[in-house]
Amino acid sequence: MGTRSTVSILCSLVLLTACGTVDEVRSARLEQATEFNQRGQRAFQRGEYQAAATLYEQALQIDVAIENESGIAINTLNLARVNQVLGKTALTQRLLDHLLEDKALRYAPAHLAEAAVQKALLRLQENDTAGATLWADKAVAFCESDCRIAGVIDNVRAGIALRANDADKALQLSERALSANSDVPLERANALRLMASARLMKNEAVAALNLTEEALVIDKSLGLPEKIRQDLLLSAQAHEKLGQAELAVQCRDRAARIAATALK
Amino acid sequence: MKLPNYNQRLLSMETRTKRFMLGAIAVMLLVLAMIAAKQDYFSRSTAIYFFTPNAQGLSKGMAVKFIGFKVGSVQEINMEPNATVRVKVSLDDEYVHLIGQDAKARLVKEALVGESVVEIIPGSQQVKQVRQNSVLEFERGQDASTVVENLAAQLQPILSDIHQITSSGDIQQTLKNLNQASGTFRQTVNEYTQLGANGNKAMERINSSMETLDKAIPKLVDKADTTLDNVQAATADIKKITNDSAGEIPSLVRNANALVQDGQETLGGVKRSWLLNSLFTAPEEQSLPVDGYVAPPQP
Repeated sequence: MGTRSTVSILCSLVLLTACGTVDEVRSARLEQATEFNQRGQRAFQRGEYQAAATLYEQALQIDVAIENESGIAINTLNLARVNQVLGKTALTQRLLDHLLEDKALRYAPAHLAEAAVQKALLRLQENDTAGATLWADKAVAFCESDCRIAGVIDNVRAGIALRANDADKALQLSERALSANSDVPLERANALRLMASARLMKNEAVAALNLTEEALVIDKSLGLPEKIRQDLLLSAQAHEKLGQAELAVQCRDRAARIAATALK
Repeated sequence: MKLPNYNQRLLSMETRTKRFMLGAIAVMLLVLAMIAAKQDYFSRSTAIYFFTPNAQGLSKGMAVKFIGFKVGSVQEINMEPNATVRVKVSLDDEYVHLIGQDAKARLVKEALVGESVVEIIPGSQQVKQVRQNSVLEFERGQDASTVVENLAAQLQPILSDIHQITSSGDIQQTLKNLNQASGTFRQTVNEYTQLGANGNKAMERINSSMETLDKAIPKLVDKADTTLDNVQAATADIKKITNDSAGEIPSLVRNANALVQDGQETLGGVKRSWLLNSLFTAPEEQSLPVDGYVAPPQP
């Protein structure tokens, strides 16, 4: 067989291989669920939480109908998150329990870890530090290797330590969270805020003020009203500790104006 | 030894040439068969005709559609001795039973910028279906540019009317007269109040004012009548334009929708093609980022 023939056969094989690339088959239903999910994401980013909840519900309904386990987990978590923002704590609990206690379907550990973290946050919101610690530990257990939310778990634990008035532990955990979340602005700002709170607890008001200002810049860039308000309240506390009553009043006034918009 | 070898090579060459020729003929036949299939040579069809004063917008091979589906094509366009145009349309037998003899053929544009097609407008269900060599009535649909041109042509007189009404001075004059009359009337009443005892004189003035009003009111009524006539004419024109366009607008909207859908399907197909599919990753469901912060209770 000559060189030309060999080359021709090889070229044909390459061409045939290229033509034979099988595209992943995605059903129209799956595409519809994806569309609802993406519209939900956009609504959430715009702060239209009720609309986002409706869209996630529609996506979830389709995912359940076609038994798309990944989609079910993702949209249940999203729905829980939106309901948490909307203040519907009981519904959030039910959704997370549904995911964590499901015996029929097997969800990815990463999704279960996220659900456990959300449970820990709910417990913490209700000042149940023991419950929060339990769920944070469960989250770590689910999240064994290549844990994408390790930094988030550290922040949750820092939050638990703050509630337990353990400033040193809170500072240590939030510093670790800060380095773990260098590329996640939301969690980076959370870590800075937690560090500021820990510093305030240790009466290090200047350091706290610097950290809060850093967090404020990030939260403003992300456009998160509730987080901006929290930053301003922390700044006010720092100014008070520094004896700068007027500046503290200004910060509280700014925080009150944000609260008056009722945007989260 | 050389001669048999040469003969053998000749024989081999002849065989290869034959194979090549056979292959080429097979490919040609396949292409011809595909063209024939495309031209509906393999499907049974019924020929019908329609006549039109001119062949503008019509072309051989043009699609013939019925409720949005292709049911045939234009086969021939011939000029008749009386300078009319005879158009032969081939309809798939599969759809012939749906088309009554009182159906109409209409030349329409598929979309604002789409191709022209001949659309069969269904006739009455009771009438017999079309048969070989049936003749359909033909009409030209209005495309977007014609609708706009008609709209412009019909708006022109309305605008002229409005301009005439506002610039003729009728309205201004009427208002001026009314103002003058009411001024006189007011003056008269004042005088009547002031003079009291000289009531007769004042009454005379009232009478005078009333006379002025008597003169002004008929003029006012006449001018109001003219104005109302103009407004009525304008309203009639607007109604006519709306009625003329009403039939075309749903078709334009439907065609635009079809065009968008076709565009989406084409884009989807291109995205899925093996050359480009690596550039367009399929969207996937995404989860919201977890927010690991709970605000402390406020003091």
